[in-house]
Amino acid sequence: MNRKVNKKIIKAAKDTVFYLFLTTLIAGMLLPVYFIVSLSFLSTREAYRYPLPLVPALKTDFELTYGENGYILSVWDRTDKEYQTVLDTNEVEKMEVYIKARLGTKITQEEIRAEIARLENSGQESIFFTKPRSLLYNYDTFFKVTRDAVPALIRSIEIAALTILISLSIGGLAGYAFARYIFKGKDALRFSVLFVRMFPGVAIALPMVFILAKANLYDEPLGLSLIYSVGAIGLTIWITASIFMGIPKSLEEAAQVFGGSKLQAFMRVTLPLALPGLAASAMYTFLGAWNETVAAIILTQFKPTFSVVVYQTLLGAQGNVNLAAAGGIAMALPALIFTFFLRRYINQMWGGVTV
Amino acid sequence: MATLEIINVTKRFGRKVIAADNVSLEVHDKEFLVLLGPSGCGKTTTLRMVAGLEEVTDGNILIDGVDVTDLPPRKRNISMVFQNYAIWPHMTVYENISYALKLKRMEKSEIDRIVHEVADMTKIGELLERIPAQLSGGQQQRVAVARAIAVSPKVFLMDEPLSNLDAKLRVSMRTELKAIHDSAKATTVFVTHDQSEAMSIADRIVIMRHGKITQTGTPEEVYDKGANLFVADFIGTPPTNFFDVELQRNGKGLHLVNSYFDLRLLPENEARLKGYNKDQLTLGVRPENIILVKKSKSILDTTALVVEPQGSHQVIAFRLGEKIIKIVAPALPKMEMGETIHLDFQQESLRFFDPESTLAIGD
Amino acid sequence: MVATRSKSLRKMWGQATPYLLILPVVIYYAIFWVRPVIAVIIGSFTDASGVFTLQNFVMVFSDENFWPALNNTAIIVLFSVTIEFIGALFLALLINRKFFGSGIFLFLTLIPMALPAVATGAMWITGLTAHGWINSLLYYLGVLAEGEKIYWLGGIEPNPTKLLALVIIIDAWQVIPSMMIILLAGLQNLPKAAKEAGYVFGGNFMTVLRKITMPMLRPTIQTAVILRLISAIQIWLIIVLLLGFGRIPVLVERIVYYHEEVPGLNISYQMAAGYTIVVSTIVSLTALVYLRVSGAFKKEETA
Repeated sequence: MNRKVNKKIIKAAKDTVFYLFLTTLIAGMLLPVYFIVSLSFLSTREAYRYPLPLVPALKTDFELTYGENGYILSVWDRTDKEYQTVLDTNEVEKMEVYIKARLGTKITQEEIRAEIARLENSGQESIFFTKPRSLLYNYDTFFKVTRDAVPALIRSIEIAALTILISLSIGGLAGYAFARYIFKGKDALRFSVLFVRMFPGVAIALPMVFILAKANLYDEPLGLSLIYSVGAIGLTIWITASIFMGIPKSLEEAAQVFGGSKLQAFMRVTLPLALPGLAASAMYTFLGAWNETVAAIILTQFKPTFSVVVYQTLLGAQGNVNLAAAGGIAMALPALIFTFFLRRYINQMWGGVTV
Repeated sequence: MATLEIINVTKRFGRKVIAADNVSLEVHDKEFLVLLGPSGCGKTTTLRMVAGLEEVTDGNILIDGVDVTDLPPRKRNISMVFQNYAIWPHMTVYENISYALKLKRMEKSEIDRIVHEVADMTKIGELLERIPAQLSGGQQQRVAVARAIAVSPKVFLMDEPLSNLDAKLRVSMRTELKAIHDSAKATTVFVTHDQSEAMSIADRIVIMRHGKITQTGTPEEVYDKGANLFVADFIGTPPTNFFDVELQRNGKGLHLVNSYFDLRLLPENEARLKGYNKDQLTLGVRPENIILVKKSKSILDTTALVVEPQGSHQVIAFRLGEKIIKIVAPALPKMEMGETIHLDFQQESLRFFDPESTLAIGD
Repeated sequence: MVATRSKSLRKMWGQATPYLLILPVVIYYAIFWVRPVIAVIIGSFTDASGVFTLQNFVMVFSDENFWPALNNTAIIVLFSVTIEFIGALFLALLINRKFFGSGIFLFLTLIPMALPAVATGAMWITGLTAHGWINSLLYYLGVLAEGEKIYWLGGIEPNPTKLLALVIIIDAWQVIPSMMIILLAGLQNLPKAAKEAGYVFGGNFMTVLRKITMPMLRPTIQTAVILRLISAIQIWLIIVLLLGFGRIPVLVERIVYYHEEVPGLNISYQMAAGYTIVVSTIVSLTALVYLRVSGAFKKEETA
């Protein structure tokens, strides 16, 4: 009885230590991610404070007093723990713009006027008020201010879809051949994924400019997806081969024996069974095409991808790291969602083929 | 139903590997033929060539007199039960069975009738709406069989269909398969490496080795008249006991002698060896043909090494030089380990083999 | 006669199937990979007027940044691949234990892999500046006193060792997940019985890992390491994002430098092409040596 209880306690203690360890590990790994996410929610004013606030504020505290030019607007500074003057003006519009743009806080001109009226009616030297932050301000602004963001987003989706289509159809055929047949050059095909990677991608991008220009595909989504497919096809071959290997050949043979042609057998039996794995492979391809930046910079001019737009915001936005962060996180979101689904198929995708 | 002819069929993989070497055999109408042999003997390859799943390198395959060698599986009018069942995991049992019928564009009501008929025959009537993952191994096996008989094929092929079942189920399923065959009257080719399965189920057994047919015959024939050392050894458990003996001819007759016993052959056995001129011979004796006798009548006295009681009988093993010899004796009297036993050979069942060519002599 | 012809046709068709299936890939690679590669190779052996020359390689080898670039690349590859392998293996072994919540844990560890390079770039740039979140965090933790700052990316005297270490850590952070999934798949496909037998016959965790799991995992490890090795030699983006060109020169960074930063020079294209050939030669040789040493070729010979 006693021993049983002891055992339970030891087990519970072990579990606690184990999960504490896991939590620490994950916290450590994801700490940088936390900060970039947090940064994407910070107001522009706070994004440049040092030390940086650890969590984004949900509200902004204001102090309103009389000043030389009209009214002095001060905001609570979480770093210095004091109200700091940010504006001395008579213009309500100027206040509104500042509060929205620099402080990422929701406010209307009526509300400002109301606060001014309250100050004048109160007879006091100053009044305090609090407004809620608009947390998605940076995201909103990123898409509004960055002229190309929305069309670039659509283009990126288009490019990713095309890349999936190209690499899955071409690579999937080869993957199937790899899983089901013995043929000359099989090893060469297996190593092709390595060969293709041995030549720096950036170095290929320049001659590709000419090749694509000749085919009228330069600065076109299709052109870019053709380039992305070079890297994607190799991995698709590996992954689809691994998936097809996991589906017993006899299932297909049974379909042939029971009246189907080879094509019917493939379509009615192998393909439906492979579908989840192929979807995983497609998501993997999506990640690559979606996140790629370098070739996109070289091979686009007037039609940048979303990643290029974020990149330019990052480099160009000397005053707006929080905007760049918002762009980066917006971009990471679909990739994260796909990764969430992908994790179940790791085994199917990578289980079958090795060097 | 139909006949199946395999004429001089050869299958090569690459340059070196010959999986089937000039195989010829004929399966009669409604016959249950078993292809038997150790793994790698070419029996499955032969079956797969009949199915059209494996290309024929050389030779011809005829079903009902029609050359199907170059036809794809779907045009051969065959059906097959696969070793791992190969029932489609994304379809229900009903869909599995009706797949081929749908492809034949049968009427819905007709499909329904056939599915229920074969489901009843294979006792899976309750399971039609399930998916394979919800079925036990034995049930999956039945689905595979039901699917195969639903198409009423000319030839019914089975590739080790029982090998994935547990021992007890295997025995009961083989009785059922035989019963289903008898009622469906389908020409059947059944591949197995299990000789007792083959013995119990076959009308005729074809024994293969190294891609070649070594013997064809009824179960009784291959058991009693094994054509060579390999067959005699492969068929029967415990296997045939072999003794290397010297032929000694003296005035009183023909003796088979080695350092353990001196067996004087009866006249009829002597006659069987008349044309045999060599001095050495391999003697084969089935375990049940070595019998316990009184000491005065024995030709061999030894001690029991291991006694395995089997209920209906007992298996007694003893050592003879390097070899372990096993005999099958009645359950009573019960023998003990270490007990002295006195043995004789039943002369009417002796098998003789040429040790050089390994072929049987005197049949 | 007719019968034999149709037979041989069907046979030919059957034998051609795999080749027909891989034909699109071959054509695709020929157009979109072989062609540009040949263009670069030709570029590396000709001067600006298109005449054959070896001068490009002479220029590459006498480039003042070539040897530092080679040196830096070698250091980064050596350390990052080692660290990444150990980290990935550790995580894979951990997740393979299938504890409660391991699915979510797996997803969380995959996040760095899913982030786009621009997002990670933004992350580290905002972290590593003097007033960035890393110093802020250290300040809140009490490691840094008020007004005290660590100049991660420079300061007065840039210290290449410190910068190299930073690059290696950041690269490892991003790359460990993709290596881990390959190892994890390999681990999950190992027959459980082999490991269990290892424990039954008296092994402890470490001996089973060393004597059973690792040897059985070898093909997977080779796959993971070779893929990583090939891309580690080509590291450059994160370095340029953090430090710009020329501070920590590495081989591929030189290619991009001549391509993108100084494309106007009349030797730019030749330099870039020359560097490209040097890099691919190094990558191929390294891959070859690794495969030979790790025995991937031997396996095929015996099979």
